[in-house]
Amino acid sequence: MKKDIQPVKITIDGQEVLVKPELTILQAARQNGIPIPTLCHHPALSERGGCRMCVVEVDGAPRLAASCVTPVRDGMQVVTVNERIVETRRIILEFLFAERNHNCMFCPQSGDCELQDLAYELQMDHLTVPQSFHEFPVDITSDTIGLDHNRCILCGRCVRACEEISGCYVLNFQNRGPDTLIGFDLNAMREDSACTSCGACLQVCPTGALYNRYRAHYAVKGHPKDLQTIQTVCPLCGLLCPTVSTVRDNHLLKIDGVIPAGDGQPEGGQLCHAGRFEVLKNSGRRLLHPMVKKADGSWAETSWESALDLTVDRLNTVRDAQGGNAVVGLISSLSSNEEIISFRDLMVKGWETGQIETLENSGFQNIYRIRQDKGPAFKEVSWKKIAEADFILALGAVTRDRQPVVGSMIRKRIIRDNVRSAGIGPGDFLYPYRTHHIQVKNGDELLLIKAVLSEAIKVMKKTAPAPGTGKISEQTEPVRVKDIVKRLQLDAKAESALDEIIRDYVDSANPLIVVGEDVAAQKDLSGLRDLMNLALLKGLYGNDRLRLIVLKPDGNSMGAYKLLHLSDEKKRAPAIPKGGLILLEQDPFQDKVNLKAPGDLDFLAVISPYWPDGLADSAHVLIPKPLWMEADGTCTGLDGCEIAFRPKMLDAPDGINPSWQTLMALAARADIHLGYGSWDELRQKAQREIQPDGPVEKRR
Amino acid sequence: MKKPKLATVWCEACAGCHMSFLDLDEALVDILSRVELTVSPITDFKDYAFPQVDVGIVEGGVGNKENREVIEHLRQQCRFLIAWGDCAVFGGINTLRNWLPKDDVLRCAYVKTAGTVNGIIPAHEDIPQLLDKVLPVNAVVAVDGYIPGCPPAPEALAYCLKELLAGRLPVLPADMIHFD
Repeated sequence: MKKDIQPVKITIDGQEVLVKPELTILQAARQNGIPIPTLCHHPALSERGGCRMCVVEVDGAPRLAASCVTPVRDGMQVVTVNERIVETRRIILEFLFAERNHNCMFCPQSGDCELQDLAYELQMDHLTVPQSFHEFPVDITSDTIGLDHNRCILCGRCVRACEEISGCYVLNFQNRGPDTLIGFDLNAMREDSACTSCGACLQVCPTGALYNRYRAHYAVKGHPKDLQTIQTVCPLCGLLCPTVSTVRDNHLLKIDGVIPAGDGQPEGGQLCHAGRFEVLKNSGRRLLHPMVKKADGSWAETSWESALDLTVDRLNTVRDAQGGNAVVGLISSLSSNEEIISFRDLMVKGWETGQIETLENSGFQNIYRIRQDKGPAFKEVSWKKIAEADFILALGAVTRDRQPVVGSMIRKRIIRDNVRSAGIGPGDFLYPYRTHHIQVKNGDELLLIKAVLSEAIKVMKKTAPAPGTGKISEQTEPVRVKDIVKRLQLDAKAESALDEIIRDYVDSANPLIVVGEDVAAQKDLSGLRDLMNLALLKGLYGNDRLRLIVLKPDGNSMGAYKLLHLSDEKKRAPAIPKGGLILLEQDPFQDKVNLKAPGDLDFLAVISPYWPDGLADSAHVLIPKPLWMEADGTCTGLDGCEIAFRPKMLDAPDGINPSWQTLMALAARADIHLGYGSWDELRQKAQREIQPDGPVEKRR
Repeated sequence: MKKPKLATVWCEACAGCHMSFLDLDEALVDILSRVELTVSPITDFKDYAFPQVDVGIVEGGVGNKENREVIEHLRQQCRFLIAWGDCAVFGGINTLRNWLPKDDVLRCAYVKTAGTVNGIIPAHEDIPQLLDKVLPVNAVVAVDGYIPGCPPAPEALAYCLKELLAGRLPVLPADMIHFD
């Protein structure tokens, strides 16, 4: 506590407490262990003071005060419980129950309803007011989020969550009085609205009005006290959002964001639709036994031993006949660091392979090639710093699909803090909040960047030298805005937008450039170099960070890049592949998109949790593995700084070995020494090898 | 001292509350040694012209004219009236039909069901007419005590009877209130 801010002394239920003056009565009471019931209050959200459940008596005043919005004052006398207060709260509760249909079939069994908890707590054993029996609509147009207005108590938590946690501003109140409803957009159905399905609303809903349509039956899976919860991180896109998974009887029932208890600075429990819902959607047929392709092309079950033996024998044959560089290894970049390390070591040491690639097939690493070739090896800024930027330039970055939370952070920064922003690319994903958007087709973003750079150098030289410590390599030749405008056939509006983007960038003190994976993957290295120069023009962020945030295609893309491309393990020049080993992860719907089967191979073995539809034709051996949620592992965050351990949540189906075990068994058969023989040794190896790029940034 | 008299009635409900009453098991012996159970679905008295009783207990919501007459009569004949179970306290599962017009409900049950051919809605002076809406007991007559629950716990009823025998109006403690 600062010296100049004196604590105030208040009395709550006869107990004198010293509290910070900026607190509300509710916060002061809860900090001191004095319970006050609430409904519209939520630790991750701003206060509304709407439900009046938290009323208390202040200084004996005739009118009760809502403690969640009443600040403390020195000498205040607060009473939280007496007959009048409890009666008032109970009457409020009765009104809520009487207004809509709360004869709910789920809550009594699941206990997952704050309204019901309060009814018990306040001994609401009957209603003294008549029930309305008015019917309200139900919106189940979405397959993720259901909205049953009959269960809604209009506490507005979802409205605030949509605004404050996800920055979507899709939910709000509509109509007036008893007709008031929570509405998407302007009275749209959920499916037709701009909702991004992040699910923040259903996590904060105190009743069952907004509910998860995947596994809605979790409600009848038992009382929360019977369920197991596992704190972990979401490994899907590299942001490593902390999650709480609810599990019962080896079934994943739901995934929630982490909302810190108490009244600390909340991070709100934000997740995206992929992290909250897609994971529950187990599409695809699980691969449960090792399979081998018979001569007639059909598949037969086989034993682990024979599948592993066959794989080693056939890959040895390819290496002996064609050389190791004809053996290709492909691994999903959703795999854990431990899987990537053991896969790489097996391929390099076992078959002297020439090629280990990730499946994402995006080439976002191009941008790092420049970092490696020219100048110091800069590190990029953590995406968490978007919350501090005063100008955000998004290039091609369509974050809605891959990293929706990054898009949401940018939106929040724009809307809440009036930060100027611009998008350049094929998709206007910040519409309508961004200051400018210039529509260009994919691949042309960097042409505009060249023009921005030339102009910015000109302007800044006039006004001030680049304050950064980084060296700007010469732009090959200055590019004039006019030429680019003409070449890309931009209209006058886009031209003036470009002028303003240049001015905004030059005038900003702390700009950040968000680079979509499609831009980072562009083959035009001079364009990427100019992008880096543009970032350098405003100096480094902190001591060593380039003002770039490079979005990457998959959950552990950064880990895979570091372990496969930056590692010291010797690889030989690739030849035309004749044999291969592929390690898949996750659902086919993820991997299939990125998968390019490496043509006709003499031999291909696939290690996969699901039946690999796209590969089954060219494969010869299929070996099952657990899903990521069925195995321990670490993954490296988008910024390369955070390395998170995600514990196993579920047991794998019987008879399926962890993939590290499979890879080690292959190594043993190929008679090679990986240098580790157990999970613990592999983890130690991973810990030694994976060095974070810097300290983990705090989330905001 | 004469034993206090008890009457229980079964209006629009599933009889689950009375099942729960029987679930008191050996505690029943103790309770029945202290009170006299008069009219009740358990004793199977058919005569609804009640005698005067001390405690009347209602299972079920008020859904038809007969229910209403029974409840009004019971209210006159008893000193303390207890609403027992979610149907009597809140209206319960029967209120499902309160969101629909009465005619739709009858047509749905007697005409539109999949297995019905040429169905007709039964109408006879002996058949009590359905009310427009199912109501909780306290929407029709004054109620002295409430035991919610579907079904209410046997212990909750035992607790209330003991409170009444001790001369107190029963109010369930928070940990005994349950809607399921």
